[in-house]
Amino acid sequence: MAEAWIRGKSVPLEAAVAEAASLIAASRLPVITGLGTDIAGSRAAIRLAQHVGGVIDHMHSEALLRNLDVMREACMMTTTPTEAHVRADFLLLVGPGLIEAWPALPTTLFRERRTVWLCPEKAAKTANEHRNIGVVGDDPADLPVMVAILRARCAGRPVAKTPIAIETLDALVVELKKSRFGVAVWSAAQLDGLTIEMLCGLVNDLNESTRFSSLPLAAPDNAYAVQQVAAWMTGFPVRTGFCRGIPEHDPWRFEASRLIDSGEADCAIWISAYGTRSPTWKRDVPLVALTGSPDLLKADVAITVGRPGIDHDAVDYLSATATLAAVSAHKPSTAMSAAGVLGKIAAALPAARPC
Amino acid sequence: MLTRLAGGRVIDPDNRRDAVGDVFIRDGRIVHAPAGGTADETYDVSNKIVMAGAIDIHSHIAGNNETMGRLLRPEQRYPSGVFHPGHHPQPLGTWNTFETGCIYALMGFTTVVEPAVLPHQALQAHLELADIPIIDKATLTVLGNDDFLLNLLRRREGAGAIRDYVAWTLATSHGLGIKVINAGGAAAFKDNLRAFSLDDEVPEYGVTSRAIVRSLQQAVHELRLPHPLHVHCNNLGLPGNVETAMATIEAAEGLPLHLAHLQFYGYGKEGPRGFSSGGARLAAAVNAAKSVTVDVGQVMFGQTVTISCDVLRQFNARNSARPKKWIICDGDSNGAGIVPYDYRATDFFNAVQWAVGLELFLLTNDPWRVFFTTDHPNGAPFTAYPDILALLMDRNLRAEWMSRLPKEALDVTTLASIAREYTLNDIAIMTRAAPAKLLGLADRGHLGIGALADIAVYEPRRDKAKMFREAALVFKGGQLVVRDGAVLRHPFGQALRTQPEHDRTIDARMRDYYQERYGLSPDFMTVAETAIGRPEPFETVPCLN
Repeated sequence: MAEAWIRGKSVPLEAAVAEAASLIAASRLPVITGLGTDIAGSRAAIRLAQHVGGVIDHMHSEALLRNLDVMREACMMTTTPTEAHVRADFLLLVGPGLIEAWPALPTTLFRERRTVWLCPEKAAKTANEHRNIGVVGDDPADLPVMVAILRARCAGRPVAKTPIAIETLDALVVELKKSRFGVAVWSAAQLDGLTIEMLCGLVNDLNESTRFSSLPLAAPDNAYAVQQVAAWMTGFPVRTGFCRGIPEHDPWRFEASRLIDSGEADCAIWISAYGTRSPTWKRDVPLVALTGSPDLLKADVAITVGRPGIDHDAVDYLSATATLAAVSAHKPSTAMSAAGVLGKIAAALPAARPC
Repeated sequence: MLTRLAGGRVIDPDNRRDAVGDVFIRDGRIVHAPAGGTADETYDVSNKIVMAGAIDIHSHIAGNNETMGRLLRPEQRYPSGVFHPGHHPQPLGTWNTFETGCIYALMGFTTVVEPAVLPHQALQAHLELADIPIIDKATLTVLGNDDFLLNLLRRREGAGAIRDYVAWTLATSHGLGIKVINAGGAAAFKDNLRAFSLDDEVPEYGVTSRAIVRSLQQAVHELRLPHPLHVHCNNLGLPGNVETAMATIEAAEGLPLHLAHLQFYGYGKEGPRGFSSGGARLAAAVNAAKSVTVDVGQVMFGQTVTISCDVLRQFNARNSARPKKWIICDGDSNGAGIVPYDYRATDFFNAVQWAVGLELFLLTNDPWRVFFTTDHPNGAPFTAYPDILALLMDRNLRAEWMSRLPKEALDVTTLASIAREYTLNDIAIMTRAAPAKLLGLADRGHLGIGALADIAVYEPRRDKAKMFREAALVFKGGQLVVRDGAVLRHPFGQALRTQPEHDRTIDARMRDYYQERYGLSPDFMTVAETAIGRPEPFETVPCLN
């Protein structure tokens, strides 16, 4: 059973659902965000947004859109973690936050292949912890210029000023070029868009003579999967609104925090079924919180929902394979899924606006 | 409840029927006329054309690659779609699952095959298919660049092991059939080969493309799968590749084989620009090879996104992207290449491609073996179907189109000399009766007693494209879903699959293989029925006797 609260007071689920529905019904522009949920929860959230003319956004949209913008403005060559595992003979780790993004990275990919880490967060510590990895550069702030230099040197162009010795970078260029199937790994949470674009350009250039690909690590809270569902159901990634009855995508206009802080949105449905995160907006708006942890009890409506793959079966993004996969509940409980609660809220709403 | 469609011209080639008459529906099936009784509801379809619901055997409508295409080209639109009165002045045609189902239904299509699902990504494909309303769906599972199969061939393990592996893959991915895409080409590209043809060997495995195709063709045949091996040949899009297609047809050696989007292999090297139509030669080869079926993959002019598991071809095409952006993914077996493209009527090469497709349609003489596709979205979005049907049925319309194309392009084709016009009966064979037969769907594609009541009713018009774009009535499983070009309701259909018998010892072997190769259980790739999120998501199609 779901536990539910209205403004901090414990109530039966039905009362919380009714209160959530009335807040949403009274709202002129509800935002459904957080979206830390499984496929079923994503589908239900998108259907609800369509139903009420709301907006969908994900708590990790910044990172999602950073990679996406490179892809949809330029180009990207990718591979899967499984293919990198069996084939890569060279690994170029780029920037900080990689192990945080994919804790299994060292055990899956660090063995038995030449690996260079470009500008990790703590270079000395990284070099010490992973002795078979070569560390090049010690300041993540140098990354944009380092990647640009590598690309220029790969193309045989001169460079003027380098943050570290040009010989070190040229040696790395030789390594890149002689690899038979190299893979660049990064986490978009830690890189800016132009650096990612430069890196993707470098990977493309390397394919003029050898094979090289890349592995962008996914943002947490099932962000990649939610993006896929949004794309197939609406035709667009997250930051899509149904305000005019039809799906429209605009990364600025439909950013949840901006909508709330500017006063454009007047109701928020926050979903964090994996349990750990709270909203970051400043303004006070009617809030319906669906979370896997009781950290938002003071919300106008708070309902605990099961953790996907722990409390209930789910379909989630699997970092090990970069695919959607069915996950059985590790510790099945009676906690209701986000999809179940969203379905109840939708059922308690008045009929959809006439289209 | 008994429903009567009264007085229409019923075109049902499977049952050799082309006459004015009635069709009766009860409980979602076609039934006999009641003896003396009356129907509970009657639709007057006099002066209208009644056909079975159409079946599309090859259209990329779902899966990771398609969705990467949506993400790459959010500005891409279908040129038609669902009208949102009060919100938008015209149909929006957003490239999503909802519009996909609705637009297919509006055209009278009731079953569509997604022809390229990689085994590791099957769950996503089925989740997407489950969100496409109205139509039934099926998938073809892609093999032929996967390490396991290539190793079986390298080690010469024999046909039994390959059969079990194919059956196991179908069981995990819930596919209806097997497709091979540039057999060995994606694997060779990982080893830095930039060209790969039928008799080239995959590095490290020492296996030729021909051997891969042959082994899968045989396995599919021996497993008694209803649909023959579905082949995407090598050298797609290259000048002179008609030789590859001819060689592949020859390699069928009398066993059933389906060649997909043949238009993309219909190119010679003649003419001042070294690019010409091989359509006439290819059509003659198809006419002669009775065990071979083909679909056309017609090109139509306009903006689209090409989406293919043929990574090698898409990589080589990436610098021709229009607009200039693309994604290339080296996958676990095949991968993906997503390259936007704008086919232009003023472009010599695009005009030749358009003509080659029509030559294949018009110079092949058996509509039971030639199928109607654009390889959506690769030759054109499926929304172009009505325009293509109109071109096939009207040589004057073709002449009108040709008058707007570069003359030097038409000069390297035979299209201007072809007078054939498709009849409605030909269209009904090509889009209904033949696809059902090719896929083994006994209760679809016709209007005989016991058939599924998937029915499309069209208003005859001088403008054939309009006639096929907006069906007058469409029934899905006996339920009225489209009326006068508007979608009335959105029931959700099923995905059709086969489940051939096989030796279960393969299960343990695959478990060991995944553990050893990836350190993973193969469970991640199993499509659990409960994960789809709809009741009874699958229907099982029996294997052949």
